[in-house]
Amino acid sequence: MLTRSNPVLADGTKISDLINLDTREVKMRVLSDAELYQLEMEKIFAKTWVFLAHETEIPNSGDFVQRDMGSDSVLVTRDREGQVHVVLNVCTHRGMKVSTLDMGNTQAHMCIYHGWAFKPNGDFIGAPVEKECMHGKMKSKAELSLTKARVAIYGGMIFATWNIKGPSFDEFLGDAKFYYDTLWCRTTKGMEVLGPPQRFIIRANWKAAAEQGASDGFHTLTLHRWLGEIGPYAKKPGQDGGGADLTPEMYGIEVWTDHGHTMRCIDLDRKVRRITGKDPSELSPQEKLQVLPPPGLTAEMIPDVVSRLSPEQIQMMSSNPPQVGNFFPNGLFEFIYLPTADGKVVGAMALHTYVPMGPDKFMFMNWILAEKDTPPEQKAAMLRISCQLLGTSGMVEQDDSDTWPHQTIVAKGAMSRNITLKYQAKFETGAPEGWPGPGHVGSGFTKDDTNWSFWTYWHELMTSGS
Amino acid sequence: MYLNLLEPTPLPPTVRANRVHVGSATYNEIVEFLIDEAELLDTLKLTEWSELLAPDIEYNVPQRLTRPVRQQDGTTIRTVQHMHDNLASLMLRVRRITDTRSAWGEDPPSRTRRMVSNVRVYKTDKPDEYKVLSYLMLSRSRFDFDYFDLIPCDRHDVLRKDGESFKLARREILIDQSVIGTPNLGIFL
Repeated sequence: MLTRSNPVLADGTKISDLINLDTREVKMRVLSDAELYQLEMEKIFAKTWVFLAHETEIPNSGDFVQRDMGSDSVLVTRDREGQVHVVLNVCTHRGMKVSTLDMGNTQAHMCIYHGWAFKPNGDFIGAPVEKECMHGKMKSKAELSLTKARVAIYGGMIFATWNIKGPSFDEFLGDAKFYYDTLWCRTTKGMEVLGPPQRFIIRANWKAAAEQGASDGFHTLTLHRWLGEIGPYAKKPGQDGGGADLTPEMYGIEVWTDHGHTMRCIDLDRKVRRITGKDPSELSPQEKLQVLPPPGLTAEMIPDVVSRLSPEQIQMMSSNPPQVGNFFPNGLFEFIYLPTADGKVVGAMALHTYVPMGPDKFMFMNWILAEKDTPPEQKAAMLRISCQLLGTSGMVEQDDSDTWPHQTIVAKGAMSRNITLKYQAKFETGAPEGWPGPGHVGSGFTKDDTNWSFWTYWHELMTSGS
Repeated sequence: MYLNLLEPTPLPPTVRANRVHVGSATYNEIVEFLIDEAELLDTLKLTEWSELLAPDIEYNVPQRLTRPVRQQDGTTIRTVQHMHDNLASLMLRVRRITDTRSAWGEDPPSRTRRMVSNVRVYKTDKPDEYKVLSYLMLSRSRFDFDYFDLIPCDRHDVLRKDGESFKLARREILIDQSVIGTPNLGIFL
C-alpha cells in the first residue's frame, strides 16, 4: 500500500531504496513502475509548476486550448478581461470532458452531455432549464465551478499548479531565473509561437526523456554522432577536428539548481571565431551579441536586449549563453545556432514537454517559437530548420525518441530493474572566475551534475510529507 | 502577412473537370510510378528514391487539429508542420541513413509496407504536370515489437512528366491523427 507521508511500494520497496544519493545511482525500475507513476502524479505533477501553453496560442478573449497537466486534462483559457485561466477539463456534474476540442473560442464552455456550462474562468454558469434546477439545491453555483489551478505567466509561457498555497513561480524558478530571463524575457515585445505544438506519442516513461532533458551532454557524442558525420556540425574538408568529432561542442559551462532546473551554456567565443572569423577578445559584450546574435535575434534587436537585462546577464549571454536546458519536471528548451550550407547561421528556438500518459507512455509536445520582432524571413527559416532537426521528424530528435522505449522495456525485467542509471561524472571545477550567475556551476567538458539535480529534486518531492 | 512566409506554396487546385480517367495510359503510368515508388521506399532503396525528386520539390506533412464540423477549414495547420522539407533537407535525410553509421532512429531500419490506393489524377494548368491524389496506409514494424504502427495518410502530389517517367514535384501528406502514433517520422510517407 502507498502511504502519502512515507511512500512504500507494494513489495515493501521504499522510494529511498531506488535512489542512492551517495553514489548517484537510480534503479531502472523508476522508468516503468505503475505505483511510482501514481505517486509522481500526486507528489510532482500536482505540486510543482507545469508548463502548459504560450500566451500567443490564446491571444483573444474566449480563446482556449486543451492541454494535459500531468495525467489531468485542463483547459487553458482567456477571459473577457484578458486574464488567463487554467481549469480542470472535467464537468462537475457527471465527469464528461467539458471540451473535446484541441482549441477554440467561447465565453461559455458547454458540456455536451447534460449541457452544464462554464465561463472561461471555470465559474458555473448554469444547467439547461434553469427553473427546474438540474443541479439541485444542495450545492451552490460557486461549489459547482470547474476546479481552478493557480496560474503564472513567465516570458509569455503559461505555467500552472494545483498547489494553491505552495511556492511562488519565482521561488520555483529560483537561481534559474537569472539565466532564463536572458532567453525568455530578453525583448520588449516578447515571443510568439509559430503555430500549434507538434504532438506525438512515445512508448516510454516520461522520465526517460526528462532526465536526458536535464541538460545531458554526453549522449550527443554517440546518439547524435551523425551531426558530425554529415550534419550541420560536420567539418568541411581541410578544417581541424576531423569528421565525426563533436567533442569541441561538449565544452562549456553547466548550471543546475536545487529545483532541478538545469542548462548547458556553450562557449560563445569559439562560435564567434568559427562563424564570423572575428577575434572575440577585441569585441565588447554588446559587439559580440551583434556580430553573432543569439538564436532568433538580429543585430538590430540587441540594444533592446541590453536595455532589459543586467550587465551581469549580458556578460553571461555574451560569453556562455544557455543553449539547452529544462524546466523541472517535464519541460525542455533549445536555443541553438545551426550553421547552414551557405555559411550563415540560423537559430532554432524550441520548447518541449514530455506529458506523462501512464508509466510506459508519454506525449512529446514541441512548440516552435520566435521573437515577435524577428524579421518574417528569419522566422520562416527558423521554422523550417526546427522542423527538420527537432520534434516529430527531426533528424536529431528521432534518435532520442527511438531510444527511450528500450529503456522503458528494460525497466520491467526482474534483473534489469535493479540495474542503475549512473550519474557519477562530477564536475571537479566550479564556476570560472568572475562568473556572474547564481546556482551550482561547473565548467569544462560536460558532466552528469545537471541530470543528477533532476533526480535529487524528484527524490525530494517524492519523499516529501505533504 | 508573415504567416504566408511560414507556410509552403499552396498546391494547385484539384479541378474535377480535368479528370484523367482510370485506365487511361497516363493514369496507368502514374499508378505504376506510385507503386514503384512505394517499392523503393519499402526496400530501402533511398538513393534511387531520391532520384525521383524534382529540384524544386516541396514536401510537407501538416498538423491536424480536432475541431468542430463547422470549423474544418481550421483543422489543417501548415505553419508548424511535422515535416517541412525541400530537396536539400530531403537529401540530408536520405544521406543521414545512407552515408552515416549513426542514424539510429532508422538503423536498424523499420520494416514498412506502403499500400497505395484510391489514386485520382487531374490535369493542371501546366501541360507536363498532374495533380495526383492517393491514399497511403503505411505499416511500420520495428525491432522485436509484436505491434506495428499504422500511419493512415491522404497524399496530395504534383507529378511532373520527365521523359518516359515522372518526377515528384510536390507532396503534401495529411495524416489522420492529430497526435501522431509513431515515435517519429524518420521514414518517408
